[in-house]
Amino acid sequence: MSMFTQKMKMLTAVVMENDRDSVVRALLRKGVMEFVHIDSLPADKMSRLSSHSSSVPRAALTDARVRIETLMREADIPLPDIESIDIDTLPQLDMEAYRRFLDRLSGSLQSVRAEQKELNEKLLSYAEIQRYASEGKNEYLDLRTGTITHGNAKDLLSRLQIIEGIYLFDAEPYISLTFRRDSQRVSDLMDKFGWAESSDPEIQKNALPEALGKARSLSDDIHGKLSELAEDARKKILESSDKLIPMWTNVRVHELCEHVEACFSYTKNTTLFSGWVPAEYADDISKIIYDTTKGVSIVEWTDADSVPREEVPVAMKSPRILRPFQRMVDNYNTPEYGSINPTPFTAIAYMLMFMLMFADIGQGAVLLLAGVIGSLVYKKHPEKKDGLISRYLCTLLMYLGPASMVGGLLFGSFFGIQVPALWFPFDAVVEGESVPGLINSVYDILAITIFFGIGVIYLGLILNWINLFRKKRYIELVFDKNGIVGGVLYAAGIWFAYGFVRSGYRTFPSAPWFMPLVAVCLMMIVIKEPLEFIIRKSRKEDAGTVSHLILSTVMETLVEVLEIFSGLLSNTLSFMRVAGLGIAHASLMMAFYQLAALPGNAIAFFIIALLGNVLVIVLEGMSAGIQSLRLNYYEFFTKYFTGHGIAFEPVGLKSRIVSD
Amino acid sequence: MSRVSDYAYINAMLRARIGIMRSSDIIENMIKAPTLVEAVSKLDGTRHQHIAEVYRKTGDLEAAELSLIEEQIASYREVVPYLPQESSFFMTVLLEKIEIENLKTAIRLWYSGAIMHRSISDRAKYICRTLIVHSIDYDRITNASSFSDIISAVSGTPYHDVLGSFAFESLSASGLFPLEIALDHLWFSRLIGAAKRLPSVDRKLAEAIYNVDIDLKNILILVRYGYYYHLEVESLAAAIIPEGYIGGEFIRRGVHGSGDDMMASIKNIVHRRYPAISDEIDHIRRTADDFTTMEENARQIMLIENYLGKWRAKAYQRLLLGKPFSIGVVLSYFFLERQEDSLIQAVLSAKSYNWDEGKIREALGL
Repeated sequence: MSMFTQKMKMLTAVVMENDRDSVVRALLRKGVMEFVHIDSLPADKMSRLSSHSSSVPRAALTDARVRIETLMREADIPLPDIESIDIDTLPQLDMEAYRRFLDRLSGSLQSVRAEQKELNEKLLSYAEIQRYASEGKNEYLDLRTGTITHGNAKDLLSRLQIIEGIYLFDAEPYISLTFRRDSQRVSDLMDKFGWAESSDPEIQKNALPEALGKARSLSDDIHGKLSELAEDARKKILESSDKLIPMWTNVRVHELCEHVEACFSYTKNTTLFSGWVPAEYADDISKIIYDTTKGVSIVEWTDADSVPREEVPVAMKSPRILRPFQRMVDNYNTPEYGSINPTPFTAIAYMLMFMLMFADIGQGAVLLLAGVIGSLVYKKHPEKKDGLISRYLCTLLMYLGPASMVGGLLFGSFFGIQVPALWFPFDAVVEGESVPGLINSVYDILAITIFFGIGVIYLGLILNWINLFRKKRYIELVFDKNGIVGGVLYAAGIWFAYGFVRSGYRTFPSAPWFMPLVAVCLMMIVIKEPLEFIIRKSRKEDAGTVSHLILSTVMETLVEVLEIFSGLLSNTLSFMRVAGLGIAHASLMMAFYQLAALPGNAIAFFIIALLGNVLVIVLEGMSAGIQSLRLNYYEFFTKYFTGHGIAFEPVGLKSRIVSD
Repeated sequence: MSRVSDYAYINAMLRARIGIMRSSDIIENMIKAPTLVEAVSKLDGTRHQHIAEVYRKTGDLEAAELSLIEEQIASYREVVPYLPQESSFFMTVLLEKIEIENLKTAIRLWYSGAIMHRSISDRAKYICRTLIVHSIDYDRITNASSFSDIISAVSGTPYHDVLGSFAFESLSASGLFPLEIALDHLWFSRLIGAAKRLPSVDRKLAEAIYNVDIDLKNILILVRYGYYYHLEVESLAAAIIPEGYIGGEFIRRGVHGSGDDMMASIKNIVHRRYPAISDEIDHIRRTADDFTTMEENARQIMLIENYLGKWRAKAYQRLLLGKPFSIGVVLSYFFLERQEDSLIQAVLSAKSYNWDEGKIREALGL
């Protein structure tokens, strides 16, 4: 693991035009390079270069890929692992043939849907008839039983079937059950065949149940056919998977090649390209290019130090074990190039905060178990979509569970029941019991979290000092609110507040060094702007006017002083929420156990205690997780994490990048 | 309860959904999809997943569209409980719009069967029978043997008196247009009544936005029926909604005359508030000796509709940028949701007719 962001190097290479495709494919396989456009070259050189012109436009490749993916998704065909495929042996890209194949497949699906629609329309008609009968709305139905006096029953049936209804024409007397609103059309047809309505009351009585029975059996048939057709549609795609998968692979590789080659520039016989690579891979990349071009190429490397820091992409290398916390950092922003990698500090701070807020051996074990089960489920069903519970949450729970269990051991809590504590019994202190040792009231718990907060804030300030030192921003390092002067003032403030608390909130502490120290620090804040002004002037850089300097000095000083005094104070007090949530957690558990004891029944006790634990695990667990994140983002990151970096996005076969 | 506590939760919830809706490429992806099957599958993984499932199960686009209406109803129902009482009543009146459109569809079906003597059974099953706001007996409407059956089907609802003022003979003679306009008038009057019950801030927002809606509706009535169908001034006066700027001016100025005189007065009214569409109005065929073709007219009206649609979208956009703890975000959300739903419906319909990408974009004004 690297303590700082990864060291980067910029590659500029010239290869023969003939070697271009093989170089691109070799670099894609390695997947550690972020390509940049060659538009930063001097204008005279650029004018001799032409931009890439492709045989197949990238948009067409993307559209084709999306189309194939859409069809594959219809049959739940997973996307192939492109890394395991030898991309040098891919067939020629024939977009026209692909389009024809996809059109054919899509067309055959459409015809299945048309069949489904026809069946569904019948199903809905039968359902409407059955519903009217079951709701006693027989007045909307038209039931007829009878025979025909001339013509063929089959002919009549084939004509009647245009009108929605149930027809039983297997034997006489024939039965027709249609909608009353269609009765005129039915009558017109029947009249042509000399329909004679049966006058037998028994036949009339049985006709409706018989027709409804037929409607039910037809509906069941249709349900079955609809399912079969839906499965047929899936099968049609599955049968084509041996064509779809290679097609997708080919289109995808060409799409990636196009994405990369769009950054290239050309002379008549050569190709010029450039990109960023983590320094540790520089030799590998050189070797790949030399090997692929058989030495007919020129490779130049530029150190990131000679490029403006804000233009260098930032890659962070954290161990796999810290990945959930890497994501927290990524969600916040990208650190500046060359600064400290915040991930390990975030991991420690986050877990410590969670541990203090949600300390319980049993509940921690439940979180761990939930995380393990969730992760296994997602591993078994990789297609399962993230919902309220996601893959990320499951992984995070596998860290937070053990953190909570360690807290439980330190504070002696097992599902809210007191057990021997390694440090002090948290629950007993919250209950107000007399506890031997240094911690014996909730105020002491609050004090612990304030000291913890001071530790976190100082860690943030120290990390900031290291970053500023590495960036050679010495003025900021000394004079900034998050620089050494801010740190000294914060220390003075802590000493002052501690003295006040130690005196029982009666007197402020006094020391001969205190006021001069504060005065010197404030003076340093005041001179920061003028000092920068002088330095810029001496370097002949644009420093602005003197009137602007006066105004900005006054404003900056006011804002900085306000931020140091109120900002650092509120940052510190903000950590009291850690104690607050810990106390709330203990109090809720106590309240649930008292509630559980009220009925005086073992089963009721068990049920209430169980529900209480579930509620606390879900609500308090979520609350502790959110508050820990908040403390990291607002109290910790703001001290050292500028977020001015641009993320390193290498292009490889696994890459998700498809457009600029 | 403060305005913040009244609207904080729903504001956060709907803004998050609006964010998802705006960042989504559903419509663009659906338009680009070469076939209907592929267009429908673009709904997977979105809030319209259910529609894709219905289509996959039944192949029936109309059944899928029916489930879209049911989704809209469910969406209103989900939001209403989170609103203060006056606002929830207002939202219920908004929901009545879906009900009125559904009622109109049912009545059109009946009309098609009873007066035009066409078979309606193949379409009757796609009427939404879910209880929307009021209890309406849709079975009775689609199976009505007389117009009085239809009036009975809506007894106990606000629509009863409106339908009761019509008779079978008048509908046979003049078609459903007057009845549909009367239902629209009823809805707008109920909407304005409900807006008056809102607290001051919400009332101002609701009135401002619905006055724009009424204006746009009135412009379309004037263009379609005044210019295109040459309706007499009395019929036009009865058709336009007597609210908003256009309706108010139409009544205040007492527009009279016929033919070109009447059209000039109307154009004058429209021009003052909506100058950009004056030119389009000029291009619409007015007299029998005008050489403008029907297609050109239809395209011109479509241009006007598109312009008005954009105007309306801007008005809702302003609402979204305004006061956060107000009914504004709720109104904007439902506008955006209905806009997306209409586009989905239109694209699916176009795909079922095998329209190409360009034709769909032109028709939708995209």
